[in-house]
Amino acid sequence: MTFKHFIKTITFIEILKGMALTLRRMFSKAVTIQYPDERRKIAPGFRGQHALSKRGGKAKCVGCGLCATICPSQCISITREKGQVTKYQIELLRCIYCGFCVEACPYGAISLTENYEYSSYNKQDLMMTKEKLLSNWDKYMPGTKGEEYYKKFWRPMSEDFGTPPGQAMYGGKR
Amino acid sequence: MIKMQEPEKIFETRELNVNMGPQHPATHGVLRVVLDLDGETIVRLTPYVGYLHRGIEKLGESLSYFQALPLTDRMDYVSAMSNNIGYCVAVEKLYGIEPPPRAKFIRTIVGELSRISNHLLWLATHALDIGAMTVFLYCFREREWILELFEMICGARLTVTYPRVGGVRNDISKEFIDHLVKFLAEFPSRILEYETLIDQNRIWLQRTVGIGVISAEEAINWGMTGPTLRGSGIPYDIRKFMPYDAYDQVEFEIPIGTAGDTYDRYRCRMLEMRQSVKIIIQCLEKLPAGPVMADAPKFVLPPKDKMLIITHPVNEIAYFIDEKACKGCGMCLRACPAKAITGEKKKPHKIDQALCLQCATCFVTCKFKALKIVPGGKGQTEEKLVELAAQPVSDELKQAQEALVAHFDFIKKGPKVPEGEVYVATEVPKGELGFYFVSDGTHKPYRMRVRSPSFIHAGCLERLCKGHLVADVIANIGTIDIVLGECDR
Repeated sequence: MTFKHFIKTITFIEILKGMALTLRRMFSKAVTIQYPDERRKIAPGFRGQHALSKRGGKAKCVGCGLCATICPSQCISITREKGQVTKYQIELLRCIYCGFCVEACPYGAISLTENYEYSSYNKQDLMMTKEKLLSNWDKYMPGTKGEEYYKKFWRPMSEDFGTPPGQAMYGGKR
Repeated sequence: MIKMQEPEKIFETRELNVNMGPQHPATHGVLRVVLDLDGETIVRLTPYVGYLHRGIEKLGESLSYFQALPLTDRMDYVSAMSNNIGYCVAVEKLYGIEPPPRAKFIRTIVGELSRISNHLLWLATHALDIGAMTVFLYCFREREWILELFEMICGARLTVTYPRVGGVRNDISKEFIDHLVKFLAEFPSRILEYETLIDQNRIWLQRTVGIGVISAEEAINWGMTGPTLRGSGIPYDIRKFMPYDAYDQVEFEIPIGTAGDTYDRYRCRMLEMRQSVKIIIQCLEKLPAGPVMADAPKFVLPPKDKMLIITHPVNEIAYFIDEKACKGCGMCLRACPAKAITGEKKKPHKIDQALCLQCATCFVTCKFKALKIVPGGKGQTEEKLVELAAQPVSDELKQAQEALVAHFDFIKKGPKVPEGEVYVATEVPKGELGFYFVSDGTHKPYRMRVRSPSFIHAGCLERLCKGHLVADVIANIGTIDIVLGECDR
């Protein structure tokens, strides 16, 4: 044991250093948030609860069934009658929020909203019917928000196969 | 009269059989370990895996290559991005396509971010198991930051499903790059913080130095990969030896240990985080402009805006069957989800416009080009439709029709894959993740096999623990960095 090592051992220098760091952190701003009172900012394009989009007050969904086909967890079921989509049901308990339904829909009829607070005590509340999904659109995608959502997150678009103007680049030193 | 027992029989020692897990907080998931103890020394250790078995390999056989991607998120949920990339690289090799350079660089960035987030969670839990609570909190502070970055690019924090076969889901934004640069500037100082807390700490040293020692030769024989192997001094890294994505265009070092004990493996991972930061900075600097999806129309989804002329409700399209071209095969009749098509066999079919949903399924199924898309035909009379359908088809509409057919085909069946088999290994934070596909020329894999590093590392747990004390089992489970979701699949 060298002298230096001996001094280090008896002075508890490394433990004191660690404690000094912890002490310093005590006076810095807390990173935790008090959840029901505070909420973290959600990034656009968040994959939360679904919504069926509307155009002119009417549902855009035509009921082609591509979302139900691609869904890896098979949580979408559609029934059509007399030229109408009569039932459009999503089982939220089975959904894995991969967002494939949005990608598969050629009509831009389904979207994932920013809502993530929908826990419930019974199963029925977690069965999204067509009405609930349509009201979600009004609730979470008001105004032009829906259009912007599709512009950004309804992929792939032609620009993904080419170089769009204003593509994000690193502006730092090269 | 009391009969005295012989002293040897009173003090006879027996081996104690102890069950640890599967719900033990220190077993990182649902690993069950059965220990045979002689006093406090481990004589035998048997890991039991399979409590989190979900049949991902079998499920992969029943889903198309595109659909099976979210399954890989659920394997190693700690670094889902790396798993996605591994899957995509393997399927791309099977398809014989290559993602564009920009996509490669983006994937490398998110892959390395995922590596940092994995190592942070590993350090947090490993330190917590051994007794350093503060590190746990500090690591999660930075991990949260990375998860927010993930949310920014793909809308999900944990199960990202961001890379796609042939590229990535969407391009990164300016906002993301700004945040990433901020993170990269801050993060190295945060690594120093963790090291201040535990690097020289005498409790940490006593719990890690000389624990779970494995020599280089033995580590190779046990099939160890990743930092677990590199801790023993083997500079084996798939990113260097079999580069995928953009790893051949960036410079980085492979940190290795010398002693092959728990402390060296810890050092390796700490240095690896610094290397990851270095790689991300280089990737950002070299990030080229260009597409993010491969130009392989057969194997990727066609662009959505090309079909908007048909799919946008403003165009009010109608579908109409050309009586001359219709052979009466009944394909559209069976495919129509609304049952709007009527007709007898070998006679021209008819669409009941009142029942039609305008979903394009019939158009896509028709092999004889008998179905016509009539823009502005919704709600028109039959005569008017005949008149409109006779008009020449514009180039734009032709393109849209092609894209629509490709889109429906892709979603309903998935791309047809050439026959053959591939094995592609990628360097995930835990080691070598290999995907092995056998394709029989259909839309789904005939066999999907995953070589997960966690499973192999769990196997050598006995070798690491034998002869050590019970308390060291925790340190050893931590040091091989296993996640049972990946181990059991």
